Amino acid sequence: MRFLWKYMEKMMGNVLKVAKFEIVRQLKKPAFWAAILILPIMIGVILLIGYLAEEQDVNVNPEITEGTVVAITDEAGILPAENPYAGICETREECIEKVKNGEVDLYYYIPADFGETKRAEFYHISEGLDLFNYDANILRGILANVVGTRVDAMDAMVLSGGYEIQDNKLTKSGEDANALGKAVVPIAILVVFFMFIALFGNRFLMAVVEEKENRISEMILTSVSAQHLIVGKIAAMMTLGVIQIATLVIPAAILVFLNRENPMVAGILASVEIAPTAVVMNLILFIASVFLYAGTCVFVGSLVSTARDASSFIGPTIVAMVLPLYFMQLFLAGEPDFMVYFLTYFPPSAPIALMLRSGFGTLSTGEFLIGLIEVVTLAVVMVRLSVVTFRKNAINFDKVRLKLPRRK
Amino acid sequence: MKNIVEVKNFRMDFGDKTVIRDLSFEVKKGEIFGLLGANGSGKTTTLRALLGFYAPTHGELLVDGKVYDPEDTSVVVGYLPEERGLYRKESVIDTMVYFGELKGLSNPREWALGYLERVGLLDKANEKVEKLSGGQQQKVQLGITVMGNPKLLILDEPTKGFDPMNRKLLMTIINELHQKGTAVVLITHYMDEVERLCDRILLLKDGVARAYGDIKAVRKEFGGKTLDEIFVEIYGENDG
Repeated sequence: MRFLWKYMEKMMGNVLKVAKFEIVRQLKKPAFWAAILILPIMIGVILLIGYLAEEQDVNVNPEITEGTVVAITDEAGILPAENPYAGICETREECIEKVKNGEVDLYYYIPADFGETKRAEFYHISEGLDLFNYDANILRGILANVVGTRVDAMDAMVLSGGYEIQDNKLTKSGEDANALGKAVVPIAILVVFFMFIALFGNRFLMAVVEEKENRISEMILTSVSAQHLIVGKIAAMMTLGVIQIATLVIPAAILVFLNRENPMVAGILASVEIAPTAVVMNLILFIASVFLYAGTCVFVGSLVSTARDASSFIGPTIVAMVLPLYFMQLFLAGEPDFMVYFLTYFPPSAPIALMLRSGFGTLSTGEFLIGLIEVVTLAVVMVRLSVVTFRKNAINFDKVRLKLPRRK
Repeated sequence: MKNIVEVKNFRMDFGDKTVIRDLSFEVKKGEIFGLLGANGSGKTTTLRALLGFYAPTHGELLVDGKVYDPEDTSVVVGYLPEERGLYRKESVIDTMVYFGELKGLSNPREWALGYLERVGLLDKANEKVEKLSGGQQQKVQLGITVMGNPKLLILDEPTKGFDPMNRKLLMTIINELHQKGTAVVLITHYMDEVERLCDRILLLKDGVARAYGDIKAVRKEFGGKTLDEIFVEIYGENDG
C-alpha cells in the first residue's frame, strides 16, 4: 500500500499534495458544512409543499371530463355488477389492449386479492414524462361513492383511502412507457450535476483566483507546475463535491430503505428501471460534464485577477449551462424540435440537455455518443486551456485580462 | 558544472515591444549575484523567464543545466518575488507545511516550527495569516522562500517594505545560506547592499547588459567610480 502511494505520488507529482491541501482547508471551513445543510432544508421545504398539495388532491374527487372513456374491471366485487364502467371490456388484457388502441382512455383494474395487496392498477396512454397523473384518483372517488355506508373491512379500507393505485403508463405503440421509472436514474444524475453547479461554481473560481488575489502565484508556481496546481485543485473540488453530495444522498437513501415497506415508496421503487448500459453511459457523461464545468470555471478564473471580476463572467456561463432547464417544456414535449437539438449540441448547454433527453427517453444511442464525445473533448480542451492561461496570467495582478495566450 | 544559472542569447518580446534584446550571463554556484537596472529595464522579466513564467522569444535560460522545472526537487529554488503574499485565511503552520511539501521537504512541519521559533513567531503558528502584522507576514514569506536549503535563492527587491528588523534577519539568512553554498540572485536598487553583499553584478539597460562581472572589475572599467555613480552614468541623472 505504501509502495503504491509512493508510486502514485511520483506519477502525479504535486497533484496529490495540492489536492490534499485544498480538501483539508475546505473541510475546516464552517461554510462548507453550512452549504450541506442549506440544500436539504430547501429540498425538504419543497417536498413538504408538494406533499401537502398532493394530500389535498388525494382528498378531492377528480371529475371525469366529457368524452373520456373509463373502464373498470372489478374482480374484488366492490362495485355493483351493473356499474357504468363495466361492459366496455371484460378481461384485464382486453382492456389494456383497448387503452393502447385508444378506445379506452382510463382503465382501472381491481384484482381479486385487493383486500390483501391493497393495490389497484391504472392504465392510460402517457405523453412525455407525465410525472403526476392525478387521474389515478378518479378510482378513489368512484369507489368511495359506491361503498357509501357499507361497513365490511374492505369497504373501510376503501373509505379510508388506505390503498395504492399502481400507475401503468402505456404508449400508443403498445409498449409499457414507465417514463418515470426509466427517468429516475438519469434525472438523479442530472440533479447531482445541478447541485454540483450550484454548490461548486464559485468554489472552483475562488480556488484559481485566490493565488492571484493574494499575490501567491509566483511563489507557488516556483514549487509546483501550473498543470499540477490546476489539476490538483480540480481533483480537490470534485472530491469535496462527492463528500458534500454523499452527505446528502446517504441519509436520504437510508430514509428510503427504512421506509421501503411504505406503499408509496414501494410503488416508486418497483417502477424504477435500471438499465446498466444507460447508467454507465450517464455516469461517464456526468464525469465529463463535471470536468467541462470545472474547466470552464477554472478557465474564467485564470483569465481574471479578482473574484469580483470573475463573478461577472461566471454568471452568464452558468446561465448558458442551465439553459435547457428554461426550455423544459420543449424537452417534455416528446419529439425534439430545432431548439432541443440546438441545446443538445451547443457546448455550454450540452451536458444538461443530454441528461434531460436521456432521462426523457428522446435521445438515441448515436446522438448520445456524439454528445458525449463533444463534452469529453471540450472538457479536455477547457482544462488544458485553463492551465496555459493560468500560467500566462498568473502574474497579472492588477487588471482583467481577456487576451488568450499566444503559443510560441 | 560550475554555473547554477546560464542565460544565453536571451531575447524577450511582448507583442511589438522588445524588453530584452540579447542577454547572456552566468551565475556561479555559491556566489551572490546582483541583477541591477532601473525600473522597466527587464530584470524581473529575465527572472520570470528563467523560472518558466514566460517563454523566451529566443535563447536559452537554464538552472543547474536544465530548463527550470518546479516539480524537480533536485534543484530547489527559493524565490521571493516583488509581488508577494500568502494564503490569508490559512494558518501560518499549514501554509508553511504546504509549501514545504511542494518543495519536497521530508519533514516540513518540523522545519517550519524550527524557523518560527527562530524568528519569534512560534506562538503564532496556529494563527491565521491575516491576523499577523505586515512585518510578521514578511518573516513567514521569507521562511517559505528559504525552505529546503535552496541551491538558488532569487530575491526580487527583498528589502522593499521590510522593517529594519526583518531587513537584518534577511541579511543574516542570506549570509547563512551563502556559507552553505547557496547561490543568490539579488535584485535591488540599494547600491550599498550590492557593494556589501554581491560578488558579481550585471547592469541592464534597454534590454542589454551595460556592465557585467566582478564588482572590482566593473568599478575599474568605469574609472574607479562607485556603483551609484556608475548607475547614474549609464542611465543619466534623470533616468534612474
